[in-house]
Amino acid sequence: MTTLEEVQVRIVGQAPGTSGLARRLMRSSLLKAIASPLLVLVIWEMAVRCGLLDSRFFPAPTSVFAELFRLLQSGELLGDLGWTTQRVAIGFLLGAIPGILLGLALGLSPLLNALLLPIIGAIYPVPKIALFPLVMMFFGLGETSKWAIVAIAVFFQVFFSTLAGVVNIDPIYLDVARNFGAGRWQTYRSIALPAAMPYVLTGCQLGLGMALIVVVVAEQFGTKNGLGFLIWRSWQIFEVRDMFVGLMTVALLGSVLQFLMIKLELRLVRWKSRPNPPSLV
Amino acid sequence: MEVTALDNFDLRIADGEFICIVGPSGCGKTTLLRILAGLELPTAGAVDITRRDSGRPLTSMIFQETSIFPWLSVRHNVAYGLEMRRVEPATRNRIVDHFLELTGLARFADAYPHQLSGGMKQRVSVARAFANDPEILLMDEPFAALDEQTKITLQQELLKLWSETRKTVVFITHSIDEALVLADRIIVLSGRPGKLKADIAVGFARPRLVQELKADAEFGRLWHDIWSLLRTAGAAS
Repeated sequence: MTTLEEVQVRIVGQAPGTSGLARRLMRSSLLKAIASPLLVLVIWEMAVRCGLLDSRFFPAPTSVFAELFRLLQSGELLGDLGWTTQRVAIGFLLGAIPGILLGLALGLSPLLNALLLPIIGAIYPVPKIALFPLVMMFFGLGETSKWAIVAIAVFFQVFFSTLAGVVNIDPIYLDVARNFGAGRWQTYRSIALPAAMPYVLTGCQLGLGMALIVVVVAEQFGTKNGLGFLIWRSWQIFEVRDMFVGLMTVALLGSVLQFLMIKLELRLVRWKSRPNPPSLV
Repeated sequence: MEVTALDNFDLRIADGEFICIVGPSGCGKTTLLRILAGLELPTAGAVDITRRDSGRPLTSMIFQETSIFPWLSVRHNVAYGLEMRRVEPATRNRIVDHFLELTGLARFADAYPHQLSGGMKQRVSVARAFANDPEILLMDEPFAALDEQTKITLQQELLKLWSETRKTVVFITHSIDEALVLADRIIVLSGRPGKLKADIAVGFARPRLVQELKADAEFGRLWHDIWSLLRTAGAAS
């Protein structure tokens, strides 16, 4: 007879919180994310102060921030931000809604597809900014022409994404809809739109990016407000600090809009399994 | 290119009958079902279904692949046919709750399909078709993609569901076992183009228990007969 020695297996987890502040900071993804931009700013600041960089072209970050606060206090910056946001929002809706509707219609109707896709496809390759003079001739120099050019830019992104979404619907879902007696409109609402929704939202995200590009250029003409105007004017009067403030604010607006789109996607497409949920940062 | 999938095919099905159609691959079984479902039109011939009640749909299909909508919760998937027919919400909820209960899905009513196993997904598909209350239920190898144990469980559940509703069912399968377990009559088709080869009555008493049927000597004899028919059907595979 042999005696069996008792074997014990212990699984020990490391207790959290013992690693010290420094190590926790090292691990923090937020810190990693801001470390390198911060370093660039510090080097930039020092380079300007030592005279290595010409402050007329590269104003010191501290002076840019001072200008930012001045523009915030005078209300100028918030006014410009408000105008640009409004133009993007109105133009986006004017472009996205027809984009979704036509994308669904052309995706499900071979007849409409054959009739309309050639026209849309012919206009698509024209750089949208190149259409702006024509748009101004139609709609004048005012707000309408800015909404219109943003709408055109957004439309194509949303339209083609939606169309791709509908074309990629698994045919079995359309079979089910037919077998269960869904009419044309019911099929649009119950199958085409929800099935294409992830594509639609990708199109909207790309569309927002395009909208910002287009609006900043459009604000060069026939207006005295908006972030685009701020940037172009600072170029004309050689006020580089204002230019940096304008660029920073546009970038911030873009990030906020993308953040809102991701929030919207998480809400509207709850049904998707997500091995890698979209990051909110 | 046109392929003749079915040729000279005449079949009468009585109300409340459970019919299984077996045949080699490519014998036109699925085409037959799609014609019955109104998803394809026959190039010649006709399908006549006697409607007892003009408010009821003619057919509801349970598909082979996953066909439940990933963007709808289990509850809304089961309610789909009723919603398309604009059945009023109170009635609709009552019917949906009933079939969620019968198929054991009540606990998962608010889950989305990606959270369910393959067997659960097919239960949703079965519940969706039954809840729609059609004249004829069409099933296109609904359990073919499932593992053996899940398959037997679902066959048993289908038998129970059928004994409570007594729907007319046309069920397509590759599996002789499955046909014998479920059907009142088995239609054997020959290979390409599909022709009616034999019409076999299956007399096992109901309610049926799958494991006891398989131990029955008659089960083995019928299995053997049908296998012989399929082998001589030419394109047996």
